[in-house]
Amino acid sequence: MGKRFHFVIVVFVLLLAPLFVSTALGQVQTRLRIIEASNVGSSIDPALRDVHDQLGSLFNFTSYRLLRDESLSLTPNRPSEINAHQGVSLEITLTKQQKNKAEYQIRILRQGSEILNTKVRLSPGRTVLIGGPKHGQGSIILAISARS
Amino acid sequence: MKDSCSSISKLLEKYFDRETTADEGILVQDHLQQCAACQAQLKSMEELRATLRAPVDEAVQKETFAWVWQKIEREIQTREKPSWRESVRAWFGLSFPFRRRVWIPAVAAALLIIAIGSPLLFKETPSKTELSIVEYVQSDTNNVMLFESEREDVAIIWLFERTEGESST
Repeated sequence: MGKRFHFVIVVFVLLLAPLFVSTALGQVQTRLRIIEASNVGSSIDPALRDVHDQLGSLFNFTSYRLLRDESLSLTPNRPSEINAHQGVSLEITLTKQQKNKAEYQIRILRQGSEILNTKVRLSPGRTVLIGGPKHGQGSIILAISARS
Repeated sequence: MKDSCSSISKLLEKYFDRETTADEGILVQDHLQQCAACQAQLKSMEELRATLRAPVDEAVQKETFAWVWQKIEREIQTREKPSWRESVRAWFGLSFPFRRRVWIPAVAAALLIIAIGSPLLFKETPSKTELSIVEYVQSDTNNVMLFESEREDVAIIWLFERTEGESST
């Protein structure tokens, strides 16, 4: 029993290690999608069905195109700056991490000037959509979701 | 008859003590029907036994054996009560599966399962007041629309360009 059991324990610990390390460091996995919404064409990226469903009742965009899909590992109080698209950048900071909730401070910058400053609380599976900055004939939308 | 009595005499004691065989018993009973002397001897034996037995039975009936119970109880009290640690150790020592130290991995596995399973069991459900996703929104350059949907777990912040003539607030 000895050797086999020890092997199983070691494998088990190695499998769970990333989870414990991530938790110990207080990192929060966050998904960032950068989307271009417009009325040019009528193609909707299959990965953006949820965004289309959420925005459909408010805006009449006919096309949703995924420009980038990133997974961010955020550490508390360490701002991450992401160049979203053509002069529009995003600065996201994990300000608080609670049991089942993460609090983010999000700043949107255009050519280095702040155009939006907001604080949001997200629990796993929830999304905040920030849109509006013009991009060609459409708008840029940032979809920020907390990973479960 | 005399000879017969002397031969039966030894059997008579056995008969009295109910130690004769079936054949011996029949022989004694046949003889007793014919011999008054042996009948008298058997009767005297029975009387003697009754005389000896009566005071013993009387003494036993009167005795409650209280002193015996007192002694037993004293013995139980004087025996030292083992501590809970010793009891646990004794139990583990006697129980077969634990004698082989199987309990160490078993306890480790149980703790691991509890550690993994407890977050799922005690998963918090957000209250109504916690449903608001956006704490604040601030923009000095744009108009902002905020839309929060409880049903879809989503919040939408939309920036609108300011038209000419709108003053920044």
